[in-house]
Amino acid sequence: MNSTSRRYFLGQCSGLSLGAMALDSLLAKVPIDIAPKAKRVIFLTQSGGPSQIELFDHKPGLAKLAGQKLPDSVRGGQRLSGMTKGKPQLIMPSHTEFARYGKSGATIGEWLPHTASVADDLCFVKSMVTDQINHAPAMTKFLTGHHLTGRPSMGSWVSYGLGSENRDMPDYLVLLSKMKRGSDQPLYDHYWGSGFLPSVYQGVKLRSGKEPVLYLRDPDGLPRHLRREMLDRLGELNQLRFEQTGDPEIETRIQQYEMAFRMQASVPELTDISDEPESVFDLYGPDSRRPGSYAANCILARRLAERGVRFIQLFHPDWDHHSRLKSWCTARCRDTDQPSAALIKDLKQRGMLDDTLVIWGGEFGRGVAGQGKWDSPEGGRDHHPRCFTIWMAGAGIKPGFSYGATDDFSYNVAENPVHVRDLHATVMNQLGINHETFTYRFQGLDFRLTGVEKSRVVNEILV
Amino acid sequence: MEDCVSNPVGSNILMRFLRPTQFSIILLAAWSTVLAEEPVDFNRDVRPILSDNCFACHGFDAAARKAKLRLDTREGAIAKVIVPGKPEESELIKRVKSDDPDEFMPPDDSHKKPLKPEAIAVLEQWISEGVEWGKHWSFVPPVKGGIIKGPDAHPIDHFVSQRLKLEGLKMSPLAPDHTLRRRLAFDLTGLPPTMDQIETGFDELIDELLASPHFGERMAMWWLDGARYSDTDGFQADATRSNWPWRDWVIDAFNTNMPFDQFTIEQFAGDLLPDAKPEQILATCFHRNHMTNGEGGRDPAESRVDYVLDRTNTTGTLFLGLTLGCTQCHDHKFDPISQVDYYSLTAFFDNIDEDGKAGGGAKPYMDYKSPYSARALAEAKKFLDQSGASFSALRESRFPAFERWLTTQQAEVKKGFDPWKIVHPVRVASKEGSRLRAEADGIVQVEKGVPVQDDFSVSTGETELDRITGVRLEVFPHPSHKDGKLSFTDDGEFILTNVKLRVSKKGSTQVRDLELAKAVADVNGKGRDSKYSSISGTLDDDPRTGWTTRTQPADKPHRAVFELSEPLILGGDETLDIVLMHRSLEERALIGRFRLALTDQRGGAVRSLGKMPMEQLADGEKPEGELRNKLLAQFLEDDAEYRAAARHHAEVKRQFNEINKANGKLKVMVLGERKVPRKSHVLVRGVWDAHGDEVKPAVLPVVFEDKSVRDRIALAKWIVSKRNPLTARVITNQIWQLFFGAGLVRTPNDFGLQGEMPTHSQLLDWLAVEFVDSGWDVKHLIKLIVTSDTYRQSGVVSKELLDRDPLNRLLARGARYRLPAWMLRDSLLAASGLLNRAKGGPPVFPYQPPGIWSDQFMGRFTYRPSLGPAAYRRTLYAFWRRSSAPTFLFDSAMRRTCEVTPRRTNTPLHALTLLNDKTSLEAARRLAAFDVKEIYRRVLSREPSERELQVCELQRQKALAFYKTDAQATEDFSAGGNAEKAAMTLVANLILNLDEALTHE
Repeated sequence: MNSTSRRYFLGQCSGLSLGAMALDSLLAKVPIDIAPKAKRVIFLTQSGGPSQIELFDHKPGLAKLAGQKLPDSVRGGQRLSGMTKGKPQLIMPSHTEFARYGKSGATIGEWLPHTASVADDLCFVKSMVTDQINHAPAMTKFLTGHHLTGRPSMGSWVSYGLGSENRDMPDYLVLLSKMKRGSDQPLYDHYWGSGFLPSVYQGVKLRSGKEPVLYLRDPDGLPRHLRREMLDRLGELNQLRFEQTGDPEIETRIQQYEMAFRMQASVPELTDISDEPESVFDLYGPDSRRPGSYAANCILARRLAERGVRFIQLFHPDWDHHSRLKSWCTARCRDTDQPSAALIKDLKQRGMLDDTLVIWGGEFGRGVAGQGKWDSPEGGRDHHPRCFTIWMAGAGIKPGFSYGATDDFSYNVAENPVHVRDLHATVMNQLGINHETFTYRFQGLDFRLTGVEKSRVVNEILV
Repeated sequence: MEDCVSNPVGSNILMRFLRPTQFSIILLAAWSTVLAEEPVDFNRDVRPILSDNCFACHGFDAAARKAKLRLDTREGAIAKVIVPGKPEESELIKRVKSDDPDEFMPPDDSHKKPLKPEAIAVLEQWISEGVEWGKHWSFVPPVKGGIIKGPDAHPIDHFVSQRLKLEGLKMSPLAPDHTLRRRLAFDLTGLPPTMDQIETGFDELIDELLASPHFGERMAMWWLDGARYSDTDGFQADATRSNWPWRDWVIDAFNTNMPFDQFTIEQFAGDLLPDAKPEQILATCFHRNHMTNGEGGRDPAESRVDYVLDRTNTTGTLFLGLTLGCTQCHDHKFDPISQVDYYSLTAFFDNIDEDGKAGGGAKPYMDYKSPYSARALAEAKKFLDQSGASFSALRESRFPAFERWLTTQQAEVKKGFDPWKIVHPVRVASKEGSRLRAEADGIVQVEKGVPVQDDFSVSTGETELDRITGVRLEVFPHPSHKDGKLSFTDDGEFILTNVKLRVSKKGSTQVRDLELAKAVADVNGKGRDSKYSSISGTLDDDPRTGWTTRTQPADKPHRAVFELSEPLILGGDETLDIVLMHRSLEERALIGRFRLALTDQRGGAVRSLGKMPMEQLADGEKPEGELRNKLLAQFLEDDAEYRAAARHHAEVKRQFNEINKANGKLKVMVLGERKVPRKSHVLVRGVWDAHGDEVKPAVLPVVFEDKSVRDRIALAKWIVSKRNPLTARVITNQIWQLFFGAGLVRTPNDFGLQGEMPTHSQLLDWLAVEFVDSGWDVKHLIKLIVTSDTYRQSGVVSKELLDRDPLNRLLARGARYRLPAWMLRDSLLAASGLLNRAKGGPPVFPYQPPGIWSDQFMGRFTYRPSLGPAAYRRTLYAFWRRSSAPTFLFDSAMRRTCEVTPRRTNTPLHALTLLNDKTSLEAARRLAAFDVKEIYRRVLSREPSERELQVCELQRQKALAFYKTDAQATEDFSAGGNAEKAAMTLVANLILNLDEALTHE
């Protein structure tokens, strides 16, 4: 039997629902056969495909090739999205100046000055590879391991496997940046969905505003003491029903209503960051004072991490810069640069970076060819799956390190490719989970996050 | 645990050697002693072991096959590694027992665990008994087996009790009448019994409910989940479709008890039937319910292939119980289905006259006018008229107050009217280093030498205005600017990309952004990048749009006015900052000189640059005609009640218009063949454009061969052929699941080798054959089920039985499980009397919390709940956005791909939904009109016990004591009732949340 059989077995024997199992959340559901380095994950998801060419992957040689046709030998039959299909592929050099930062000398584009200031804490993986060229399938792949919907997201796997350290909160929480712009890439529920895993493991979206979790607020005019009273009576009558019917599911239900009550107190307390000291807002930047901003969500992420939430996922949309990089991409850099760096500094100051794995990245990269006119400021870049850059920090990941390299065009991986599957394997490994043996049986098959194709833990980036 | 697929190896071995449900570690020790009591059954005992442990490398998939060994056929097995009769000489046994890691099977790198001794014992016994091999059970056509004793014996009870007898168990006693009626009503209509129905005899009730129009609605919900029905495309654009007449077709089909074979044929090939009626063509929308992808960069040709595969996979799951999706990329590893078989099946769906597009381009369509729209329109019209009447009355009631106000204003303006108060900044700042200088008249001058981009921030300081409703921006030329124009950039023009109004409070760490409703400018120019032009581009978070006056005269000032969505009343310790953002592509295109002003005038005054109405009045114009109307509008802007009513009425009108549109001809996505057939191919590794061998339409040989099947009609007939061993079983199983919460096969989506065996094979087969013999009569099958004692058993379970059979696989008790979320919503509407029982028609929008779509789509879609009677329609009719399912549902099917396995979890989020959803609260308020006894009857179909009455009374009194002391809370919680009503509302909320109220008992 597979390693989840213990869960299976418990379920079979006790007749308890999965809800009940979830309550028993201190119980890890996987045998820990690897020493865990990370207790939790903060995944700073940059949706839309940030341009590695402007931000991380320095290719000074491109300047000389500006406007030239991308050699076929480099392109190697790569598919293009419908937006640039059939158009000439003319090289557009990076819009940014690069410099070396920190003792590690990481090369970072000028649009990310704050990220540059923590370069020595970060590990850049410059040779990320995916096999999807459009947003929804690529993001689905990036987060669930498969481009079709229906698989559990990484956060659900982790929540299922490890459970929570906090009995008043769900294990997997999701935070979306609030923006005033009709996004071209909606953030689908299935990005944090539990797929075929029980829905108790799905990510719970925290919304900005008065009701961070849907239906969290009691109706107007119902004070908390009366809700408490009502739940006591409800528990009493449900207990009576349990005695009459013998159905253990009723006991689970009583417990779930109690956890709901606790969440009504714990979630607003948690999401109200106004009690943080001024120094924190100074660190995360002026945006952090505005609820719902990426910066405010970064502070929230740290608070959730402090409270033992297992998997915290931020989504910042609108990195899909098909045009006007200099105005568009810089806007998203300004939203995210200072807060992302601040989160690293903050976790480090609190001694939490050692057991918190932070990941920054999007579903794919962007192509070296200009979309629109390569020599106009209005030029942009199309999607590019063959290489992109992410960074990671904390929890046993080598700090001040850069792994993998692309060719002179930032088009193909030249050395040490890291497929998104390998990223998943590595994240799981840092959490103490063997991605090969951690499976869930569905439709007669043993599924795992990393799927059936070969994947590996990227040991080279581990301390 | 329903949604956790159990492990067939464990269960099947145990099933045979132990009492089937005692999956207990302790008992495993007893294994060897019970072994060999009876011969092994290949299908039940052996195949699962081989399938689970060996087939991945030694199975049907030739490409994955290692060492040229196959164990999925007897020939393959005895050719190499099995010597019949001699386990000790069989290599298979040696390998699974081996100590040598190089020899050992399954090998380490397969990540499969070593076989348990019990499993090895089964294999040994099977080999000694001669390696009997059977076809997988579900591929053998069902027959009515077993002798049913006595004319009165119910066939279901016969099979169930026969099985129980083997286990030394008996059926549970029948459930009490009220429980049975409630169970039956939910199972047949998805609604609790009405007050009349709780008095009706059980048998009579069966017929009544089967004849109810709600029967079809209940059954349709099952079918819609399987058919992945949705009102939108899914994916990025997620455009709205108008396929809902198909949903009504399904309801009608169940209500008229259309034979299931016909139901199948029309959905697969209604368009190909001779003299096809419109409804028969409509039926084929079934195969168009898949998602469609309109993402910008998506190749429609690739999408089209996805749709074809989706149809094939849906057919596999829903009708055949086969996981065909596995075969997209390679031969099936477990079931004998090759890639060629799979793609031959897809070929039936490959010739649809479609091109892979989404949105309005997803042809083929049919024009269809729904017979159900007229009722919806009449309902909406009635509501619109009511709304219009009450709105007009409200408006007229304001006239006297307006006259008084106007008189006062006329007197006021005589003292002088100053429409805009100049801002004299208390602080000016820039983000990137521009130097700003505040001059005496409120003008801010930027000094030469500016950065590439910058944001200017102006703190307004104290204002004499009581409130702020709008901001005016003036931009001035200046000699220090490029060519004396408006900015320092090379052409002297500016681009303002965003404007933000931010309020901060002394001592608070938080800043709030104010919503701007509108912006107007004296002129909009044209930037070098044409996206820079209109002032409206300053309201979003997109730096690619913004305001410029380029191409307009740059030697004179320009103005823009911004309207706040809500008036701002600044607290004494609050500060307003106005931020002007210049984040365009143009370098240094920053405004060089500007001034800000504020006003307290509302409405038209801050929506145009012309004279404000009050200015006109001050200038001596008579308040007549247009000016009077403007003044009235401005007066009403400040009337919150009026504004709410106006918004409400406008929304009622909008909804009426939508329904009016739905009353016309609709484009419904249907099937239709291309004139020139496409060539179909195997897709290598499932890649859409990697064409392998050409294939012709052909059915799956493993199910049964019929070479004459060449088109969709024949395919549908093949699916419902008597010779098809799967369809009747698979559908019977899904229908059974509707009544017992779990199927006779617990993996309803997988009748293949990796699926579970039926818990009651003979029963499933008997019912399947009966279903076909009855002419695929769905109501007949259902009546058979609900008239059995098996169905009518009590769900009360003893500790012993629970330990023995936690998942109720033996059916020794009634099924007790949480009702699906859609039934919970419908039932609270029904119990409270809120339910609008109308049938069919355009989708409705039940209440959902604000922001649910706009959060996800960053404002591209906004959910607007239905107003009026449409808000209380059944959940079946709720608009289904594929990317954001209704929030009040949980554990529902995703409607992305075909789903037939119910999800059933128990989480705090569900509790919160049931406690706090607005619909639930409204139901509680409605129920508060009754006493506890009546609420019990309505919600639980029974009388409360003394104890229950006491508990509820205690709750009522506590709540009453509180509400008597708090008028505001009473008002809020009871929506305008008194303390008594508020207290009873809480009692009703309690009863609606009882486990019993949420449960199929």
